[in-house]
Amino acid sequence: MTSPFLTRNTIADKDSLALLQLRRDQIVPTILRDHDDENQGYWEGKVTNTRFGSFPHSTLIGQPWGSQIVASKVDTGSRGRTQSAKRKAEELDAEATTTGAEEEKKKPSLRAPVSAESGFLHILAPTPEAWTISLPHRTQVVYTPDYSYILHRLRARPGCTVIEAGAGSGSFTHASARAVFNGYPGTEEATKRRRLGKVCSFEFHEQRAAKVQKELRDHGLDGIVEATHRDVYEDGFLLGDPKTGKSPKANAIFLDLPAPWLALKHLTRNPPPGQESALDPESPAYLCTFSPCLEQAERTIRTMRKLSWLNISMVEVAQRRLDVKRERIGLDTEGVRGATVFPKTVEEAVAKLRNDEQRAKLIRDNRLTKDQPDYQPIAKETPFYKEKTDILVYAQGRLTHRSEPDLRTHTSYLVFAILPRAWSEEDEQKCRDQWPSAKVVRSDNEPKTSKKQMKRQAAMERAKLREEQKQSAESPQPESGDKAEEEGTKEEEIKQEEIEEESTEA
Amino acid sequence: MHSYIRPGQYVAIRLQSDQLRLIQIVPDTIVNLGRFGSFTANQIIGRPFYFTFEILDTCDEAGHQLRVVSATELHAETLLAGEGDGEGDDVETGENGVPMRTNREIIDENSSQKLTLQEIEELKREAGGAGKDIVAKLLESHSAIDQKTAFSLAKYTLRKRKKYLKRFTVLPLDVGLLANYLIEERDAQRSMELRDEHIGLIGCWGNVHHSGNIEVGEGMKPHGRYAIVDETGGLVVAAMAERMGILYPHDADEEPTEEPDAPAHDAAESQHTNGPPKPRRIRPQPMSATTNTITVIHPYSQPNLSLLKFFGYDTNNPDESHPLHTHLKSISWMQLADPNSDPLYANEPPIIPTEELAELKQSKRSAYYHKRNRWARVKAVVDEGRAGNFDGLIVSTLLEPASVLRTMVPLLAGSAPVVVYSPTVESLVELADMYSTARRTAFINKKRELELQSSEGEAVDLSSLHEEFVVDPTILLPPTLQTSRVRPWQVLPGRTHPLMTGRGGAEGYLFHGIRVLPTTQNIQAAGNVRKRRKVETTSTPVSDRDVEMTS
Repeated sequence: MTSPFLTRNTIADKDSLALLQLRRDQIVPTILRDHDDENQGYWEGKVTNTRFGSFPHSTLIGQPWGSQIVASKVDTGSRGRTQSAKRKAEELDAEATTTGAEEEKKKPSLRAPVSAESGFLHILAPTPEAWTISLPHRTQVVYTPDYSYILHRLRARPGCTVIEAGAGSGSFTHASARAVFNGYPGTEEATKRRRLGKVCSFEFHEQRAAKVQKELRDHGLDGIVEATHRDVYEDGFLLGDPKTGKSPKANAIFLDLPAPWLALKHLTRNPPPGQESALDPESPAYLCTFSPCLEQAERTIRTMRKLSWLNISMVEVAQRRLDVKRERIGLDTEGVRGATVFPKTVEEAVAKLRNDEQRAKLIRDNRLTKDQPDYQPIAKETPFYKEKTDILVYAQGRLTHRSEPDLRTHTSYLVFAILPRAWSEEDEQKCRDQWPSAKVVRSDNEPKTSKKQMKRQAAMERAKLREEQKQSAESPQPESGDKAEEEGTKEEEIKQEEIEEESTEA
Repeated sequence: MHSYIRPGQYVAIRLQSDQLRLIQIVPDTIVNLGRFGSFTANQIIGRPFYFTFEILDTCDEAGHQLRVVSATELHAETLLAGEGDGEGDDVETGENGVPMRTNREIIDENSSQKLTLQEIEELKREAGGAGKDIVAKLLESHSAIDQKTAFSLAKYTLRKRKKYLKRFTVLPLDVGLLANYLIEERDAQRSMELRDEHIGLIGCWGNVHHSGNIEVGEGMKPHGRYAIVDETGGLVVAAMAERMGILYPHDADEEPTEEPDAPAHDAAESQHTNGPPKPRRIRPQPMSATTNTITVIHPYSQPNLSLLKFFGYDTNNPDESHPLHTHLKSISWMQLADPNSDPLYANEPPIIPTEELAELKQSKRSAYYHKRNRWARVKAVVDEGRAGNFDGLIVSTLLEPASVLRTMVPLLAGSAPVVVYSPTVESLVELADMYSTARRTAFINKKRELELQSSEGEAVDLSSLHEEFVVDPTILLPPTLQTSRVRPWQVLPGRTHPLMTGRGGAEGYLFHGIRVLPTTQNIQAAGNVRKRRKVETTSTPVSDRDVEMTS
């Protein structure tokens, strides 16, 4: 089975995960079904209800990813008991059917959904980022700014094996599966020569482990991620049996555990006799631990030093999102949403004050004439500074940006470390035999000849040969430059040669 | 995977002074590290990465001059306080918790070091022990050494070691390291001050990954085609190629033969080679891959991807076995916008019939094939680019971002991400404003108006719409702007704190959104004028609510 996270069709298929985006941070994950497996009694089959309307899955299946989907009129209130609804649905066989319903005759035919007047969403293909926003929280989630940086520093690349403990809510699991993915196991193209990327995920909480496993199956990732229920402090990282199991041969390790230092003893180059090392003997091992408290990080680092980890470094990631807004200030903004009615310049303030004074005077004068028969109330007039501009509303005001209202100011301390390959005396001896230590032949600043240069030289050689055959006595030809020497002086001659070459070709 | 130092490979060498040098390891040559000494390249070829070597004063009988410094030794020196494993209690405190030794007595002057400059110079020339002797001497001749607190002593020793120890560490040259090198040792602005955290974010939000090993079946499109606009000299292309598993020459080693990857090229070839003997050796045609590809769009006639040379791929002299040779495609903006202005694309070299071809001279025949192949390649790449359906768009450019997105977003497949990186925020703030809710509402309303004005069955003239709006704000959601920075810490027993200084410069920002396909349904509903009016007069008109929901 393929995963919509990694390789996907152009359209949303049934029985695969789709992410329904309502707004920026509101994404509802759902498995698309052409039938209602929970028998909730909707006329339209399985329906996802959101605050922006109801969406029968028959309106989602088969749509291109990224499509805007209009909500449907779904009777959510008077569904009655499931039993009767089901029967009713069966009676309505003749009604319009969705594609999936035709295949299985047992199922009741479904009613074609009717679009509602308002409300819509976008159906998005799953990505680890969107999944991280939408996933059901079981533990603290490792968010995109952290995991993107961690995976980059861990050099988790296609073909790598990553160990993850614990799996938690599964956000890092999905992101690391994408990072190491370079093919599904079991397909014919997967050859023995090529190592397929893999994630070995460990979780000590039984229920969470089971949930992760189910999620991975639903997402088609079960071939790429191997999720194990295990207490890694005690039992280490070998696959299958904790003592005699196979080594995952990990290149990168991510520990999101309360006490990472307790797990480090299982990540050495020299495991206890009879056991395999969980690390890949052929490559350096990159490690990252994720601890919210400084004490945890310090203790981890102390253990790392004892166990010969190198390049130990600790960082915090501070990410923030920015809100972009147009800020509109001015006396002419009355009635404009979000604008501040306030003079935008000194001139405007002065003009308003002056105008107010004049008007006050006018009113006072006017009041004196109140008893006279030709009394006229003062005509209302809009002062010039209140006149609307002809700039369109969306382009008015100053463009500003500020941090989002709620910041994540601390996620965790990330501790990185590297364990080089094991290197034995024999390995070293082999290398010394192959690459004699004292041998120095070439100087290392030898200029390299490019293909183009080589072609030019070949052209020159040929031209020279031709000339020689003609046996012209005073040859104006350049000497054959056997290796690229001084480019500048020869450049012109070579160009001539090239022109000659071109003309012979043409 | 970087399992050992391969001959001919570029590696990074970190010196004691924390300086980085990028060096190509050519067998049988000498690598010179300036005042830190020199060694022969053969002594590190085949060895693992991340080893720290010390250059010894004398070589052994086989001429070997390097010693691997063990991790224990390195750590002992970092901790240096020398108090066991430093179980947290090495702040020397008196009875009432006041540190016993303080800097109260220390006189602030430069006379505490009793060695003169000349003496130190002499030491440098004579002392052995790869610099350790110098450091020891320096410590010995420091008059106030016993007044120093453990911390300041550690700092002093570390500083002196950095200056004199003849040691170096060999690191694999990957994208992260190259980015750091460019920032620290080169002109950071040329790589747009791109840091690790940005590279990670770009790759993740851009959903850039290897496209796998499954065949492209029916109802599917080729997987993993990314469009990249990169003006960092190839750093972004390298970073994305790394994520896609096509950056390193040895990425190809592990892959099986790639023949099934090139149907497009086969098709193109069968058009024009009809009959003549097939080329003797099957060489991978450049830019021929259909899946897992990067298409670079560049403003000049050639893309600037010079940084790829560090990964064994020189664009002027491409190595045919390198995965980028087939997987990296390039198109100029002109070829994309107006291909017929490009003679390479527009002028098809005339086909010479087989019989005639057989009579031609060898050189002319190869020139003919060369031209035909080049034309076919350009045509295939340009047509493919113009057809679009890319799986992602990554932009880090000097061009106006909105102009790039105006052209490129319509070429993306639905649900494909767009990521724009910029060292400074201003251009991205403007870009985010192009996709503001107010603008989107105005766009939808104006479009509807235009559609109502046009008579039925006629194509709607939307040119005035595109004049007013630089980009179509309805096809990208949700416009998001973010920034990220890591803060490094020093972690030493009893001395843990964030680093005191760091690099300033550009903060680095990321704009992100997803290509969506707006429904036409609203427009159909709008055909019923009376109904539309009715909707508009309600307190929550459709257009308004649409916009609110997507903001």
